[in-house]
Amino acid sequence: MKKLTLVTFIVVSVVSMSFIDGNKTASISSTDGNSYEVPADVQAIIDNSCYGCHNTDSKSTKGKMKLNFDKMSDLKTSKLVGKLSKISKVVKNEKMPKKSFVEKYPDKALSKEQSDKLTSWADDLAAQYGGE
Amino acid sequence: MGKKIAIIVFVVFIALQFFQPSLPEVIVDNPNDLLTNNPEIPGDVTAILRNSCYDCHSNTTNYPWYSYLSPVSLLVVHDIEEGREELNFSNWESFNKIEKAGAIDDIIGVIEAREMPIQIYTVIHQDASLSDSERELLIGWADEYSDSLFD
Repeated sequence: MKKLTLVTFIVVSVVSMSFIDGNKTASISSTDGNSYEVPADVQAIIDNSCYGCHNTDSKSTKGKMKLNFDKMSDLKTSKLVGKLSKISKVVKNEKMPKKSFVEKYPDKALSKEQSDKLTSWADDLAAQYGGE
Repeated sequence: MGKKIAIIVFVVFIALQFFQPSLPEVIVDNPNDLLTNNPEIPGDVTAILRNSCYDCHSNTTNYPWYSYLSPVSLLVVHDIEEGREELNFSNWESFNKIEKAGAIDDIIGVIEAREMPIQIYTVIHQDASLSDSERELLIGWADEYSDSLFD
């Protein structure tokens, strides 16, 4: 019985979380006047696999120091391009999400398709603002 | 008893010397090097980069005498290989603007988080450890340099 309650709880949380994700408006604008929308499918990947550590309230001091999605809008062009470039690199090299994290939460792992989607988004945007 | 252990340790140490890893190659001529291609980088910044970063993050490693001793050499080889792979200033000009901006973001991140220079390196090379003002100086330069890429 306890098990059933737990399962129900998990199902309800996951379902409600996916609703929240679906409604999120996602736009990033930099102080240099660069602004853009994050496609919903990319935002979903970020929310599921990255945002947990890379946000203002994160318990991971280093995680939020190096990349904070809540503060992307404060970034000037050079920083924005730098962050996007770095996102692409660490995801391609499979350094992120961290192995220890993925072992603990296997559903946070990036599939090949998710990884490609995320990195091509980052690459395209970086190219758009980086002028290459 | 103590003598016996000392003898064993000594013998093992001598035996280990027959297993030398090959140290990553030192290349002196690097046409894409950051510092040789950017003479406008201030002298104090250049000094920090050469003194605290270039041993692992360039092809111009200065090998100290103990790097020829096993098992220290194994550690040295590992750190240098990893360092060069992660960021090699000797190849700087082969990066495009976006890669440079990513590398600069990384540099600022590891300096701010005090992950670099790694502790085991600064324990031995005490003059390579960075003071707060040196960290600030390096970060300030890196930030300006990155801006200059997108002017």
